[in-house]
Amino acid sequence: MRGLPFDYATRNLGRSPGRLAGALVGSTLVTLLVIASASFIRGMGASLDPPAGNSNVIFLGAGSEESVERSEIRMQAADVVGTISGLRTRLGQPFISPEVHIGLAVRTDPAVPEGRLTPLRGVRPSAFLVHSEVQITEGRAPVAGANELLVGGLVSGQLGVPDARLGLGEVLHIDGREWRIVGRMRAPRTVIDAEIWIPLTDLQVIAQRDNLSCVIATLVPGEADITDAEILAAQRLDLELAVMTESEYYATLSRFYAPVRAMVLATALLVALGGILGGLNTMVAAFASRVREVGTLQVIGYPRRAIILSFLQESWIISSCGALVAGALGWAVLDGVAVRFSMGAFGLIVDAPVLAIGVGAGLGLGLLGALPPTIHCLRLPVGQALKS
Amino acid sequence: MIGIECRALTKKFMKGETTITPLDSLDLVIEPGSFLALMGPSGSGKTTLLNLIAGIDRPTSGELLVDGLDIAHLSRSRLARWRAEKVGYIFQLYHLVPVLTAYENVELPLLIHPLSRKERHARVQRALELAGIADRHDHYPRQLSGGQEQRVAIARAIVADPPLLLADEPTGDLDRESSTAILKLLRKLSEDLGKTLLVVTHDIATTDYAQATLHLEKGRLVTEPGEEQRHA
Repeated sequence: MRGLPFDYATRNLGRSPGRLAGALVGSTLVTLLVIASASFIRGMGASLDPPAGNSNVIFLGAGSEESVERSEIRMQAADVVGTISGLRTRLGQPFISPEVHIGLAVRTDPAVPEGRLTPLRGVRPSAFLVHSEVQITEGRAPVAGANELLVGGLVSGQLGVPDARLGLGEVLHIDGREWRIVGRMRAPRTVIDAEIWIPLTDLQVIAQRDNLSCVIATLVPGEADITDAEILAAQRLDLELAVMTESEYYATLSRFYAPVRAMVLATALLVALGGILGGLNTMVAAFASRVREVGTLQVIGYPRRAIILSFLQESWIISSCGALVAGALGWAVLDGVAVRFSMGAFGLIVDAPVLAIGVGAGLGLGLLGALPPTIHCLRLPVGQALKS
Repeated sequence: MIGIECRALTKKFMKGETTITPLDSLDLVIEPGSFLALMGPSGSGKTTLLNLIAGIDRPTSGELLVDGLDIAHLSRSRLARWRAEKVGYIFQLYHLVPVLTAYENVELPLLIHPLSRKERHARVQRALELAGIADRHDHYPRQLSGGQEQRVAIARAIVADPPLLLADEPTGDLDRESSTAILKLLRKLSEDLGKTLLVVTHDIATTDYAQATLHLEKGRLVTEPGEEQRHA
């Protein structure tokens, strides 16, 4: 026994153009929100994941294991870390990066009284050895004492200016002084992408500090591991060092932001629930006006499953269109958009898994939104349905 | 052709705390190929009887044999299949699907059956011609008059060649001229195609076209006590 023709489902969509438009917009918005939420969670998660195969260890001030910005260690620590055997080297240069991490107000326009809090990292050239994921895409690395900056790919989003505003030669205002952009860098899907890099000594002058936030070193797997670093930290109690792998550090950060992700997820679920209720309302209204027709179809001999299938087809056509539009919009508009959090930023990621989640959710909403009203519509005895 | 036999057929339902009995121990035999008009005041059980015979509703008690088959005990899905093969139903308000053309409305019952497109086309054409509405095949219901809509509904009822045609007030919403045309068409279908035809009506003119008329009152046939009705 065959079902109702597909034409029946498609033509029924045109019965009420207003209702169709409402259902399409609703379906698109709900799917878009799910995509936005998924891309937020994925973007935040990815930015807090160290690059694969990372064998970096971070030396921080004891008690500041959860925030490198709060950490303070003596300058001497960088030399001490260099005594670990099994450090990676290139042409005799060890992979050790003493760094200062600080959030400072950065202004694009000196007339604006308050700048935007932006993460700055004071580095030496060895930082490019340790952070191999960083690529200078334009210009060069900044030179100490010349008021020069290297700017990450998401900083424009962080500062709320077009990316072109941060081109080479452009000026930013930090601590009342002008700083020229001499390089652009990318470190996709890492926190570094939202940072401004500045020569270490320059940042120490701005911050009026003579110490470091951390020392990051790269170990050669098999020759040294975290235990060697822990032994060093334990031996040099005078430096008050804590040590952890970079993976552990970011895992800690990730756990710290887990409630934020949960809140985003909960918001998405609530809106999706609202979407389901809205869809139910729309479908109830759409199907309720066809109760008699449903009775007629049953009298003609169509089994209930054929009618359910046809009604679900209608709903799925709408939700599929909404999901496709939302998917295209999400990919075109949301992918890579910088989202500020804490004093950093990360890029939304709209990739295949995120699109699959969004489109899947959209189609699922189409099913959930249509099934109850369809069943409700069919629950009426045929004789009563005919009199409806 | 198909015959119908009702034995002590009863239908009850609750309305609030009151038990309503639209059919009360009805005994009735309808011979195959007959054209009967079923009359009676509102609430006498006419439509209830029609719905029971169509398998749309189930009796509370008694037996209902249609072509020798006790349809009261068929499952819902088997009943749907049985209706698709055996019953053509004509409604007072036509009940055409508004988004389908006349042709597509008539084709609807055939889509349930495994027929080729060519065969479906031939059957739909024939049904539309028999109903005298072939020239309006590409019109949507909103583009047709009441009489034309009823002709399409009749074409839809006969297209799958069911042996039993049931009509609930088929002329109830039509003017006199259209009513007469529809009644003539129904009689022609009964005579030419040998369909068993049962028409519920308030229209006395229907009795002029039917072979016999049954009168229902308070869920019973108006007849001699203890005597089983045998018709046509």
